[in-house]
Amino acid sequence: MRRRIFLATPLLLPTQLLAAAAAAAASPSSLVYPPVVPGVRLVFPRDHGAHPNFRTEWWYVTGALQTSPSGSADIGFQLTFFRSRPGTAEALHSPLAASQMLFAHAALTLPGDRLQHAERAARANLGASFSSLDCDVAIGAWRIYRQDTRSGELLHLQVHSPQFSYDFTLTPSQPLLLQGDGGYSRKGHGPQLASYYVSWPQLQVAGTLVRDGRRQVVSGRAWFDHEWSTALLGDNAVGWDWLGINLFDGGAVMAFRMRDAAGETLYAHATWRDAAGHLRQFASAAVSFAPLRRWVSPRNGASYPVELEIRFGEYRLRTRPLLDDQELSTRRPTPVVYWEGLVTVEGSFSGRGYLEMTGYAGRLRVADHGAGVGAA
Amino acid sequence: MKTLAWWLIRAQFRTRRAATLLSMLAIALGVALGYAIHLINAAALADFARAMQTVQGDPDAVIAARDSAGSVALASINDIARDPAVMVIAPVIETRVRVDQARLLVRLIGIDVFSAAAVMPRLLPRHSERALTGSIFDGGVYASPALRDKLGLQDGAPVTLRRGDQQWSTRIAGDLPAAGADDLLLVADIAWVQEHFGPDDAVSEGRVRLSPDTDPARWRATLTPQLPAGLLLRAADDDNARVSNLSRAYRVNLNVLALVALLTGAFLVFATQLTAVAQRSTQFALLGVLGLSPRMRLLQVLLEGLAIGVPGALLGLGLGYALALAFTQLLGGDLGGGYFATSAPLLVPQPLPALAFLALGCGASLAGACYPAYLNRMQPLAQALKTGFAQRPGAARAPHTRLWLPSLLALAALALTQLPPLFELPLAGYAAIALVLVIGISCAPVVTQYVFGYLARPGLPAPQQIALQNVAQAPLMAQVAASGLIVSFALTASMVIMVSSFRVAVDHWLDAVLPAPLYLRSKATPLPQELLQALLRPDAPFARIERTAHASLTIDPQRPNVALMVREIERGNPGARLPFTGAVMTPPSDDLVVVWISEPLHEIYGIQPGQTLRLPLLGGAVEVFVGGVWRDYSRQFGALVISRDDYLRLGGDFQPTDLALWPLPADAAGEAAGAWLAPYTSRYALELADAAEIRQLSLSIFDKSFAVTYALEAAAMLIGLFGLAVTLAASVWLRAGELATLGALGFSRRMLSRAVMLEGALIAAVGLLIGLACGIAIAAVLTQVVNPQAFHWRMPLDVPWSAVVFGALATLAAAVVASHYAARQATRLPVAQVLASAQ
Repeated sequence: MRRRIFLATPLLLPTQLLAAAAAAAASPSSLVYPPVVPGVRLVFPRDHGAHPNFRTEWWYVTGALQTSPSGSADIGFQLTFFRSRPGTAEALHSPLAASQMLFAHAALTLPGDRLQHAERAARANLGASFSSLDCDVAIGAWRIYRQDTRSGELLHLQVHSPQFSYDFTLTPSQPLLLQGDGGYSRKGHGPQLASYYVSWPQLQVAGTLVRDGRRQVVSGRAWFDHEWSTALLGDNAVGWDWLGINLFDGGAVMAFRMRDAAGETLYAHATWRDAAGHLRQFASAAVSFAPLRRWVSPRNGASYPVELEIRFGEYRLRTRPLLDDQELSTRRPTPVVYWEGLVTVEGSFSGRGYLEMTGYAGRLRVADHGAGVGAA
Repeated sequence: MKTLAWWLIRAQFRTRRAATLLSMLAIALGVALGYAIHLINAAALADFARAMQTVQGDPDAVIAARDSAGSVALASINDIARDPAVMVIAPVIETRVRVDQARLLVRLIGIDVFSAAAVMPRLLPRHSERALTGSIFDGGVYASPALRDKLGLQDGAPVTLRRGDQQWSTRIAGDLPAAGADDLLLVADIAWVQEHFGPDDAVSEGRVRLSPDTDPARWRATLTPQLPAGLLLRAADDDNARVSNLSRAYRVNLNVLALVALLTGAFLVFATQLTAVAQRSTQFALLGVLGLSPRMRLLQVLLEGLAIGVPGALLGLGLGYALALAFTQLLGGDLGGGYFATSAPLLVPQPLPALAFLALGCGASLAGACYPAYLNRMQPLAQALKTGFAQRPGAARAPHTRLWLPSLLALAALALTQLPPLFELPLAGYAAIALVLVIGISCAPVVTQYVFGYLARPGLPAPQQIALQNVAQAPLMAQVAASGLIVSFALTASMVIMVSSFRVAVDHWLDAVLPAPLYLRSKATPLPQELLQALLRPDAPFARIERTAHASLTIDPQRPNVALMVREIERGNPGARLPFTGAVMTPPSDDLVVVWISEPLHEIYGIQPGQTLRLPLLGGAVEVFVGGVWRDYSRQFGALVISRDDYLRLGGDFQPTDLALWPLPADAAGEAAGAWLAPYTSRYALELADAAEIRQLSLSIFDKSFAVTYALEAAAMLIGLFGLAVTLAASVWLRAGELATLGALGFSRRMLSRAVMLEGALIAAVGLLIGLACGIAIAAVLTQVVNPQAFHWRMPLDVPWSAVVFGALATLAAAVVASHYAARQATRLPVAQVLASAQ
């Protein structure tokens, strides 16, 4: 969900430009983005590709890795590519026009260690690219792409940074999960607050991880999200909590809530698909998030509910983080501090996945933008 | 012992106050010049490197086109970006534009803020709140503080940027907070620059930051062979080498001039110490008898030399700093050489170079004191006590046996002139020049003895005969006096001859390269189509128009770019427009593209006329035939000319930047032509100049660049003359007894004075004659060896006889005046006392 924030942000570094970015976001652009409407039938692999007319889009992969089959402590990984169409340079004919921008974040959670993080940013036609026909998005040597092989389809992830590199192959074990109404996923009470949202849980990971010059063969489970939208955030939203869990029994749970400044839930939703493929959706009123334990960031004093109780319908889950300090701060496109990391869940189900919490390190500037955008 | 040494030094300084001071000054001058040149150059290079750092950042590699018409395709940039070893590649599009009507050409750099942040952070703009655009992506340009001041640009103000016919009307959206105080820069988003000024689907260059675990040299070596033709991969070291190559030869030449000043300083120390040793021979002999060892006598003279050298060199350092300060304020960081077009650079003295120059000054002074110290050690004590200074301790050799040495040296000098440059510097040539000076000095006694021995026939009036015999028979003093003049006059004459030859050659060359009466140029941006179209209409008041397009290409990334001129020139008759140095060759086939290369290009890269080679042209490698070598004194790093037809045939886009115009015969003064062009020149800020103006400007730049040379020549001549006066005075003192005897015999003071003056004039004449011969020889080395090797151009030797002869006569007159000073000493001798003490 964090990704939504970025996508709503039209501008990027350097920091001096931020004021300008805010101005740009606030001034209504003549550009009209296509609306997100229900009833659109998603077609694959075409809809794995980019939807450049929409304002924001992201491809997001999280997962837990093991370095040996015996199941040593997990390593969490996350790779996200954002595409943003901020409404700039739309009139230019130049192939370099900055009308589409790409950002990528990669993070690694090592047990007993701090979280490692790397990021990249580029305009989508200069050292970076995306395909509108299939999942293939890249900034430099960083890339996520889908591939059809004789034995089925695969996703490839490639990241090269000074701190760590990895090269993973993701093999689907289940069909796609179209969130909401056939992929039309509401994000608030207003009809315009929605996205197209496709998940792909229970992906088998195999590949190599390089850190500190050491190459390791790893395997694990991952979760893939692909979401595109124009307006996501309601006027009062300051942040959100989001969860995507691969259950040990082969099922999958996704839950999120939008929070206001008081920490109250503005809108929430949950999805559970069991191993047999039965899908259940839970409406806003049936979903609740309650903090159980907080961790206070020593860097900025933000207090994150790293242990949460989430109820949806008759089910309840508790989260337990692999590491309390999975807070990260990114510079691109704008400086944002948030918590995103590997957790295990227990309760009605048990599994492992990613929890994302934003808007705790003070009211985010981006949230202002988001509000502006949401109202537009 | 210490007290004695100190006492002797003090006595020496007191008795020869003027001579000692002047020796110090000469050493100081040499050190000052050398140090000033070093300081200025170091500052200019640092300044240049800093400006480069701002614009280019600190990339691990730069991928760029080899020729200015080429560019780096976006596909190539994206290919490199995908390399896992590449952290980021920051593409830029760079062009030069005019802002509104300002004449100034400004660098406009299109950047991608995402990648620029990692490689060129100093180019990042600061968006103004008064800008009307939302961000850099929405257009708008950002101006460096210096440019804002210069052109009075305000945030939010509309500006129109022009390059030829292309223009972009936009607004000032902010500034460049990290730009240097002198940087005149505009920065905008790369897409907006491309939209308005091109190139389509390509960029000017890409700057690569590699991941920390990648070895940049190995990465470059791997990638280079895979690059498309027309592209090159440059390392940051290449840029440094290029900057240093820019002014290296010029700098070294100036440093050699400083060495000349040091050399003359050393000579002055030599003259002063020699006379001092001679005058104090009795004193030293007495001290010797009292127990001062010969070694101590040697050390004492060396110590005295050092006592001159240390304060002289210290003074020189201070003077050098002041000089550097004054020069940078007046002429800028290139000493008038025109290599760095920046304002006064900041001087930052470092301790190590200062120490080196201090050592150099002391070394020169010690070197000067060496021979006198040796003489002092070898003095036979008993004889010195009785009769004074022995000029030649040990047996004097017969004159003819001393001729083999100069002959051998002459052969060595000749051999040195045939050697190739060392480290791309004419070091062998400089050595040859030093040898010529040594030959001149070692010839002096032989010539003196032969000439004056022959002249001093019986039958002359007594004073003249005494003077002649004196010169012929006291060769050491004469040699000292003459050698000072030989060195200074040889150097001065050689510089006069060289500069004059160069000036004559430049003058002829200007005739050849400025055939048209009028020239119009746009400073390397394409001329507006509106003007080019109008020139084609029948009402344009011109009989003939020739268009030229200026571009550049890189043959070696470590060297400055080579100029490329696309000219409307006849393939069959290039000699009509280019001053060829040799035969013009026709290509074996009409299909082969012909280029005519400049002399520097021929010398630097060893490209021969008649050969074919592959040149990086228009983004590819093109086979060309070298049709000939033409003389070029303006582009030191090489230039080549290609005909417009050939250029078009290669698929080039001919965008003229310069025009040569021939007004109609009825409009000989070019007034009608000027009036017709006036609207265009003002609208597009074009430069219109007639051939006479350009010629005058070129020659004034030429003269300015030799300003330092002229100053040094004057200094050398003064030192030479002063050396003459000092040595003559000393010789008078040495011959006090003889002169007193003559006085007692009835010579009037006038006769004595005349004899001394005549002696001075004769010594000066010999010195000047030998000096002139050496000067011509040195000038020949300078024009035929040093200039081609350092600057890669040649010129015919052209001796300005009238100037040289006049200079010699003026020096002779000055020598007579200087010897008058010595003569006055002779007439003031207390005859009775001298005679009495001689008993």
